[in-house]
Amino acid sequence: MYRLALNMLFGDRAKLAMLLCGLAFSALLMAQQSSVFFGIMSWTYTPMVNIRAQVWVSDPMVEQVNDAKPLRDTDLGRVRSVDGVAWAAPLHTSFVQARMQDGNFKLITLVGIDADTFAGAPAVLTQGRIEDLRLPDTVIVDEWGASLMGRMGVGPDGKPRSTPLKVGDTFEINDIQARIVGICKVRRAFTGGPFVYTTYDRAKGYTLGARRTLSFMLVEPQKGVAPAELCGRIERDTGLKAWTSDTVIWNWGERSLARNTFWWFWTNTGIPFSFGTAVLLGLFVGIAISGQTFYSFVLENLKYFAAIKAMGAGMGVIARMLFVQAFTAGLIGFGLGAGMAQAIGRVMIEKGMPPFVMFPQILWATFALVLGISFVSAVIGIIKVSRVDAASVFRG
Amino acid sequence: MSHLAHTVAVRATGVDMFFGTPDNQVVALKQADFEARRGELIMLVGPSGCGKTTLLSVIAGTLTPQAGTVEVFGQRLDGLGQEALTTFRRKNLGFVFQSFNLIPTLTVVENVMVPLLIQGRPYDEARERSLALIEKVGLKGREEGRPNALSGGQQQRVAIARALVHEPPLLICDEPTSALDKDTGAHIMQLVRDLSRSPERCVVVVTHDHRIFRFADRIAEMEDGRISRVVDDPKLLDTSHL
Ligand SMILES: Nc1ncnc2c1ncn2[C@@H]1O[C@H](COP(=O)(O)OP(=O)(O)OP(=O)(O)O)[C@@H](O)[C@H]1O
Ligand SMILES: [Mg+2]
Repeated sequence: MYRLALNMLFGDRAKLAMLLCGLAFSALLMAQQSSVFFGIMSWTYTPMVNIRAQVWVSDPMVEQVNDAKPLRDTDLGRVRSVDGVAWAAPLHTSFVQARMQDGNFKLITLVGIDADTFAGAPAVLTQGRIEDLRLPDTVIVDEWGASLMGRMGVGPDGKPRSTPLKVGDTFEINDIQARIVGICKVRRAFTGGPFVYTTYDRAKGYTLGARRTLSFMLVEPQKGVAPAELCGRIERDTGLKAWTSDTVIWNWGERSLARNTFWWFWTNTGIPFSFGTAVLLGLFVGIAISGQTFYSFVLENLKYFAAIKAMGAGMGVIARMLFVQAFTAGLIGFGLGAGMAQAIGRVMIEKGMPPFVMFPQILWATFALVLGISFVSAVIGIIKVSRVDAASVFRG
Repeated sequence: MSHLAHTVAVRATGVDMFFGTPDNQVVALKQADFEARRGELIMLVGPSGCGKTTLLSVIAGTLTPQAGTVEVFGQRLDGLGQEALTTFRRKNLGFVFQSFNLIPTLTVVENVMVPLLIQGRPYDEARERSLALIEKVGLKGREEGRPNALSGGQQQRVAIARALVHEPPLLICDEPTSALDKDTGAHIMQLVRDLSRSPERCVVVVTHDHRIFRFADRIAEMEDGRISRVVDDPKLLDTSHL
């Protein structure tokens, strides 16, 4: 009978296509909306991704990575003397205005990294070499920032240029020249602004006014020392706050700075609410569409199920037939929808806009939802068939 | 009396069946008595709306009458629950519905297989038996087509094949030849009649089609919700309404 149930489902290609479109569309909507949501939320802790270090140390009052409270330079020594620390490097991050060639200002995220260890340097350089940062007045700019700032540049003919900044181009930060020696690939941040990397000491120069410039310390544990354990020791010995750098959203530890940043934005801003409503809307529309398509499928087949019932099929058999149909359609619909979401996601990730983070968990949740919808629709169908009067099949 | 009981296949006694609300009541059956014997093909005739289909439904256990008793092959249907009635139908009944009720998304052979699959027969066996019967009703070559691609008469033959495929003890047909021409109708009725020729079998046919009366062993006339007369010879019928 189950084979017949499937044949019934696949028998009408046009209706099947409708059904699958509805399911695929809602799966797509759900997966895509939540991926964009988590994409935006993951932008909040972008520095954790772009600046790579095992342990971050901050002022005890710091709650999230975008809001650094400066440390004393002497804190570096105290951290270095903690048992289990291999090395500790200073990190500066701040938002400063940079003056472009056309005279306009652009807010940038200035990142000053230790010139000896290059701890926290970008992972991928598409142009130039990290070592060139040791030359005077040099910076490395991220790709997307380079194209943004390029539009504010002036070409050799004096007209506005349309090409991205490249190695050799210059701009100014607080009247001090910044010469580009490299272009890097980093992830976009929620706070916007291009990422401009320079050395820690030069960052002090670029931010002349600032009394203290040590935003974070990047720490490497000695071999065999777990980051989380080292965090505990640093906090005990120095009274500072230490964080792990794991950014895997479904698996981050208690001490993850990314996690804290995520939840800080979650509780202190309207972002989850405004984007969350879009996700919920997507969910509702998805549920409504797939529920509706299933329901009409069941209604159309109601009189045939009634005939099967009259011919002596028990409700148990009919229930299983409906489940087979619902879950098969659900499975295929989910597959198509998830596939489309992946494809669209790939394009989005490529463009970086809008942000897109599709965790396996999102797919699982979508899968569960689609199957849930299938289940409910099948149950509704079963109730309908159980209520249908078997004698009705005798009438014309 | 005991001998008589042994020959009875279907017996309905004092059956009342009405539809609708008490103040807007349609009486479909009123104190109807009906009897069909083993090995017999009995026809039910009567004007439209006299209750033929309703009586078939009561015998088939898909309608529970407000009054009266129904007994099929020694089994009392009154008092049986839904599940028990379903099991009863699965084991004992074959149907040809007035509006064929073929499943449009299944092929012809799959439609015919349904009763066998409901009985839990293996797919391949069900398919083989169905193919053989499709050939018998003259639809060889159309097995893999869809019912909607067939003419009304061909669809009716598929419905008949579906009703016969599991060789049910009681075959119930509502207007089985309404869409068939004279020769095909006669051919199909011959098949049905052959099936009835066994003490374990019985066929009840509702029809308006006087061309097939000759296949009946007996003909019961219905009028206003009850059997008014049973005759052995079609010539004795009151055919004014036909
Ligand atoms: N489910 C129902 N609800 C209300 N009235 C019904 C129902 N089923 C049958 N009836 C009524 O009961 C009466 C008998 O109906 P039935 O279908 O048994 O007639 P019939 O002899 O089969 O007619 P036909 O030759 O047109 O098929 C009719 O008046 C019909 O309107
Ligand atoms: Mg009728």
